[in-house]
Amino acid sequence: MSDEKSAQDWMADWQALQKQYWSAWQDATRNAAGAPDPATPWHEGFEQWARLFGDSGKQNETLDRLMAGAKGYMALMQSMIAAAGQNTGGADPKAWSEAMRQGFDMPGMDALLRGNPLAKMLRDIGGPGAQGIDQLSASFAPFLAQAKSEGLSWLHVPAFGYAREHQEHYQKMAAAFVEYQDAVSRYNALILKASQASFGIFEDKLAARDEPGRRIESPRALYDLWVDAAEEAYAQVALSDEFRKVYGDVVNAQMRVRAHVQAEVERIGTDLGMPTRTELNSVHKRLHEMRRAGKNGSDQRVAELEREVAALRSEVATLKRGRPTPATVAAHPKHKAVKAAKGRK
Amino acid sequence: MGPLRIDPQKAMDEALRFNQRIAASFKTLRSLDEVDYGATAKEEIYREDKLVLYRFRGANKPTAKLPLLIVYALVNRPYMVDLQNDRSLVKNLLAMGEDVYLIDWGYPDQSDRYLTLDDYINGYIDRCVDAVAKHCKVGKINLLGICQGGAFSLCYASTHREKVKNLITMVTPVDFHTPDNMLSHWTRGMDVDLFVDTLGNVPADLMNWCYLTLKPVRLNQQKYIGLVDILDNKAELENFLRMEKWIFDSPDQAGEAFRQFIKDFYQANKLVNGGLKIGDKDVSLKNVTMPVLNIFAEQDHLVPPSASRPLKQLAGTKDYTELAFKGGHIGIYVSGRAQREVPGAIHDWLAART
Repeated sequence: MSDEKSAQDWMADWQALQKQYWSAWQDATRNAAGAPDPATPWHEGFEQWARLFGDSGKQNETLDRLMAGAKGYMALMQSMIAAAGQNTGGADPKAWSEAMRQGFDMPGMDALLRGNPLAKMLRDIGGPGAQGIDQLSASFAPFLAQAKSEGLSWLHVPAFGYAREHQEHYQKMAAAFVEYQDAVSRYNALILKASQASFGIFEDKLAARDEPGRRIESPRALYDLWVDAAEEAYAQVALSDEFRKVYGDVVNAQMRVRAHVQAEVERIGTDLGMPTRTELNSVHKRLHEMRRAGKNGSDQRVAELEREVAALRSEVATLKRGRPTPATVAAHPKHKAVKAAKGRK
Repeated sequence: MGPLRIDPQKAMDEALRFNQRIAASFKTLRSLDEVDYGATAKEEIYREDKLVLYRFRGANKPTAKLPLLIVYALVNRPYMVDLQNDRSLVKNLLAMGEDVYLIDWGYPDQSDRYLTLDDYINGYIDRCVDAVAKHCKVGKINLLGICQGGAFSLCYASTHREKVKNLITMVTPVDFHTPDNMLSHWTRGMDVDLFVDTLGNVPADLMNWCYLTLKPVRLNQQKYIGLVDILDNKAELENFLRMEKWIFDSPDQAGEAFRQFIKDFYQANKLVNGGLKIGDKDVSLKNVTMPVLNIFAEQDHLVPPSASRPLKQLAGTKDYTELAFKGGHIGIYVSGRAQREVPGAIHDWLAART
C-alpha cells in the first residue's frame, strides 16, 4: 500500500470517527440541558486520534506536543463548561477555580501531578535529548532505590583492603545520588507551592473581571486568564531567594552525580584500553594554548616587521631626496668594509 | 451575575472547531515544504575555524559610507536577522543602502571547549572587524551587537576604540542583577566551575530547557494551543515552524567562554561593578566613547529593559540614543512592527553620524 493511499484511508477513518463522536456528544449535551457528560471525556476524541495516528506510524515530536496541549486544553474546557451548564460556579470565583483544578486532573495521569499543573508543564518539556530535572531524577531512581534499600549508613562506613579505592568511590557516588534526590524534592515542593498559589491568583483575576465589558465569554479566554495566573505564581516563586538556593542546589547536585558517573565510565574505559575524555581534553587544551602562543608570537613578529618596513621606507624616501642618513651610512656594506680596513691599520 | 458568561452551546461549538482544526492539520502538515530560512543572498569573505564572515548582497549597491558588522549571540543561530523575505532586518537595512556583514559562529564541538572570551572577542571579532575594514578599504566600521553579542560588542568597543565608529546594541544585557532578571537570578546559586568541568561544552538542549522553564505554561502549552488556530493555514504554519526551528536550532556553548560569561557577567556583574578583564585587556564601559544607539524590547523576558537601560549612565559616550521597542526579545526582529520601526531607526541614526 502506498503511503498516500494509507493516509487517505486514515483520513476517512478519522473523519468518520469524529462525526460519530461529536454527534453523540451534541446529543448528550442537549439531553443534559447543556451540561457535558463527565463520563465521556472530550479529550477521549484526541486519545482516539492519537491511537489512530500511532497506528499509522506517523507520530512525531510536533504532534506529540500538539496532542499533549490539546488534550489538556479539552479536558479543561469540559470541566469549565460542565460548571457553566450546571451553574455550579455562579458568581463565586472559588467554585470556578475548583472546576479549573479538576480540569487539570485528567483521568489516568500520574498521581504526583494531581493539583500541580506547573509540575506537569515542566515534565512535558522533556523530550529526546532534553531531559528536565524530573526525567533525570527518574533515570537515577534505580540507583537511589538500591542505596536506600541498603540503608544510607553504609555510605559512611570506612573502606579498606585491596578494593578500598573503588568502594570509597561507589560510596561517594551513592551519596551524591541521595543528595540529588533531596534537592529535587525541595525543588518539587516549590513548584507545588507555585501551582497552589496559581489558583488563588486565578480567583483574584476572575473576581476582577466581574464587571460589564470584562466578563469571560469563552473557554479560551478563561484558559488564557489561568495561564496569566500560573505564570505570575511561578514567577513569584522563581524569583525568590529560596528558589535561587534550591535551583542552585539541584544543578550542583546533578553535576556531582554526572561527574561521579563520568569518572566511573573513564575507569572502565581505561581498563579496556580506550581513549578517555580526560585525555582528549588535555590534547584540546594544549592545542589551544599552542595556538594562542603561536598567534601572539606571530602578532609580535608582524609588529616588528611593520616597524622595520616603516624604517626602511623612511630611509628610502630620504635616499631618494639624495641625503644619506646616519643609519644608512653605518649600515652600508661599503662603509663597513672601509671601517674594518681602517681598524686593521 | 458572576465573572463568566460562557454559553455551553457556543463553548461546544468552539470545542468542535478546535477538533476540526486538529483534523485538518493532518493534511496541512503533510503538504508543507521543507522549512527554509535566510532570505538574502550573501557571500563569504572570511573564514576561521568554524566561524564564517558573510557580506549580504542587496538589489542595489550600498550607499552607506561605512560597513555595518552584526555580532550575534553564541546561544542561537544568527539567521534570525534574515529569517524570511517579509521578516528580515538585513533585507530592510540593505534596501536603505547599508552595507551589512554578519559573523556566523557555527556549531562548536568538544575541540572548541577551551575557547575563551578572549578568543571570541579579541580574537575572532577583532579579525572579522579587520577583514570587513580591509574589504571596504576603511579604517573604522559600524558595529551592531545583538543580545550576548551586544555584551561582546561593548567589550570590544571599549578596548578597540580605534576600530569602531558607531556602536549599536540590541536587546543587550548590561546590568545583570536587576530584580526582574530570572535567568540571572537562577545562575547565581550555580557552581559554574563544577558545571563546566563536568559538562565540558554546555549542551544546547540543556540551554533550551532552561529557557522554556522561564515561562513553562506559556512556552510549553499555551503556544501549542494557539498553534491549533493556524493549523489549517499553510503559510502561517510555515512561519510558525520556521520560528520553531530557530528556537531549537541552538549551538552548544564552548565551555570556557560559558564559564567566564556566567562568572563575570551574570554572577559578578562586572560590566556594572568594574574589574572585567578579557584576555590582557581591561574593559570599562567608560571607554565606550563612540556614539551609541541602545535598542531594547519593552516585553523582553530574557533581557528585561531594566538590564539594558543602565548603559546610558555607564557608557563614556556623550552621544547616546535609546530606542524602546514595543515587543519581545524575538518580536524585535520578526514582528510587523519591527520591520516598520527598527531598520529605519538604525539607518537614520547611522546616516546622521557617518
